[in-house]
Amino acid sequence: MRQLLLITDGCSNVGMNPVVAAAHAKAEGITVNVIGVVERGESISSAEVEIEEIARAGGGMSRIVNTRQLSQTVQMMTRKTVVTTIQQAVNRELRQVFGAESVEALPPERRGEVVRVIDELGESSPLKVALLIDASASMRPKLAAVEEAIRDLVLSLQSRTGRSEIAVFHFPDSENGEGCVCDLDWTDNIAGVKRILPRLEMRGTTPTGPAMMQVIDFFRQGDYGRTIRGETDGMMGEDVV
Amino acid sequence: MKTSSELRLAPGTVVTGKWNRGRYRVERLLGEGANGKVYLVEHGRRLYAMKVGGDAVDLQSEINALRALASRRRRAEPFLLAVDDFVSGDGAEYPFYIMRYVRGSALHEYLQREGADWFPLVGYNLLRKLAELHESGFVFGDLKRENVLVGEYGRVELVDYGGATAVGKGVRQFTELYDRGFWNAGSRTAEGSYDLFSFAVLCLHLFEGRRLLQLSQTVLPQNRSPADLIRLTDRHPMLKPFTGWLQRALRGEFASAREAAAAWQRIMYGGGVKPARKRSSAGWAAGLFACTMLALAAAIVWMMTEGVLPTGLS
Repeated sequence: MRQLLLITDGCSNVGMNPVVAAAHAKAEGITVNVIGVVERGESISSAEVEIEEIARAGGGMSRIVNTRQLSQTVQMMTRKTVVTTIQQAVNRELRQVFGAESVEALPPERRGEVVRVIDELGESSPLKVALLIDASASMRPKLAAVEEAIRDLVLSLQSRTGRSEIAVFHFPDSENGEGCVCDLDWTDNIAGVKRILPRLEMRGTTPTGPAMMQVIDFFRQGDYGRTIRGETDGMMGEDVV
Repeated sequence: MKTSSELRLAPGTVVTGKWNRGRYRVERLLGEGANGKVYLVEHGRRLYAMKVGGDAVDLQSEINALRALASRRRRAEPFLLAVDDFVSGDGAEYPFYIMRYVRGSALHEYLQREGADWFPLVGYNLLRKLAELHESGFVFGDLKRENVLVGEYGRVELVDYGGATAVGKGVRQFTELYDRGFWNAGSRTAEGSYDLFSFAVLCLHLFEGRRLLQLSQTVLPQNRSPADLIRLTDRHPMLKPFTGWLQRALRGEFASAREAAAAWQRIMYGGGVKPARKRSSAGWAAGLFACTMLALAAAIVWMMTEGVLPTGLS
C-alpha cells in the first residue's frame, strides 16, 4: 500500500496543476491525502478548495486542522486510508465471490469475518507513506509541529505487524524553486535522526504539482528495487535526491 | 464518505432493522463515540442503548471485539444484543448495534457527586474489567474518563469499544493525553501495559487534572516523559496510598492487569498487612450496603414513621 501525504497551508503557484498530479498518483496506485495546517485564528479559505480537490483526485481525504491537532490527524488519516484501501480490494473480491457490492451489502452476521480479515490485512500489509511538506515562508512557524507529527506517525507505524516505511520530502527546492528535496529516504526507524526537516531558506514559490510528480517518480524508483539501483540512478532527477 | 455526525435521530423516531425487523424508538442521545452516536432506545418496553455508526467496517470491528468478550463470559448478562442496519429518511443506510443500557455517569462526574471515597473501589472494579478484556485477547485502547461509566455502588462498565484492539496489533484509537506514546513511555502496540498506563493517567486526571493538562501543553514533545507523570503521583491525599502502584503502571512494570488489580486490592485493604481477604470487594460493597440499610432503618424507627422495609433488602 502506498500513500502520499501532502501537508500545506496555501495554494500552489508554480508549474503543473497539483490536481492533475494527484490523478497521476492515483493511477500509479498511490492514495493522496492532504492536510491543510493553520495556526489559531488563521484562515486559508482560498486554499481549501484546492486542498479538497487534490485529495479527491488522489482518492484520499483532506482535513484542515490547527497545529495542535496535526499529530492525531496524520496518524488517523494514515490508518483510515489503509483500511479503506484494503476495503476496496476486499469489495472487489466480494463482488466476484459473493456477488455482493460491498461489505455493507452483506448481512450483519456475515460481516464479522470479512471485517476481521480487513483488520488483519490492514495490520500486516506492507505500507509506504511519503510525506510531502510545504516549506514555503508561511509554513515556517508550523514546521516544529510537522516534525513532531512525523515522529508520532513513525511511532504508530512501528506498532503495525507489517513492514511500514516513511520517506520525507519538502518543497520548494531552495536551489531552483521548482521541485522538492528528499529529506529522508525510506525508513522504519528515525530514532537517530535529530532533525528531519532542515533549517530552510524560504522562497516564495509553492510548486505543489511538480513536487508531487517527483514523489510519484520516487515511489517508482522504489519499485525497481535497490538491486538495480545503478541503472535507475541515472533516471532520478538531480533535484530529487 | 458517510459520517454519523451528519445524522441526528430526533426523540420519538422509530428505527427499524433492515435485516431482523426489530423496532427501536429513540428516547434521547446519550453520547458520542469515535465511531458513532449512542442513543437511549425503547424496545419491547425495555430500555437499551443503540450505537449508530457512519462506517460499517469501523463499527463491525468494534462488534467483533464485543463478541470476543461475550464469548468469554457466557454466564454474564449479554452486553451486545442485536446488530442490524437501518435506512434513514434520506435513503442512506446506517449500521447500528443494540447493547445493554447501563445507567450510570462518567467516572469523574460520579466521584464528584458521590464523593472521592468511592475512588479505590471504582478503580479496582475498573482494573478487573480491564483484566477480563485482556484475558479475552483484547486491549481497550481508548481508556479515558468519559469511557468509564459508573453505576450504583461503584459498578463499572466500559463504554465505546472503538479503540478495542486485538493483543499485539497497533492500538486503533487513543486519546493523546492518555497515550503512552505521547508521553514517550513506550509503543502503541496493544498490550495489557498500554491500558494500565492509561489507567494511571486517568487517576492523575481525576485528582491532579490541572497539573496534568499543564504538563501536556507546556512540555516540548521531545521532553515529555513518564518521570513528569510520576512526580504527580504522591501529592494528592487520595493518590498517596497508590503512589507506588501508579509508578509501576507508568513504568509498565505490571505483567498483567490481573496482577495490577491484585496489587491495587492489597493497597485498598491496608497495604497487605492483614492476611489477604479473597473476593473482598463484593463483601466490602455488601457491608457498606448493610450499614446504609441499618442507618435507614434506625432513622425510620426514630421518626416513628409507619414504614416497612422492602423485603429482601434487610
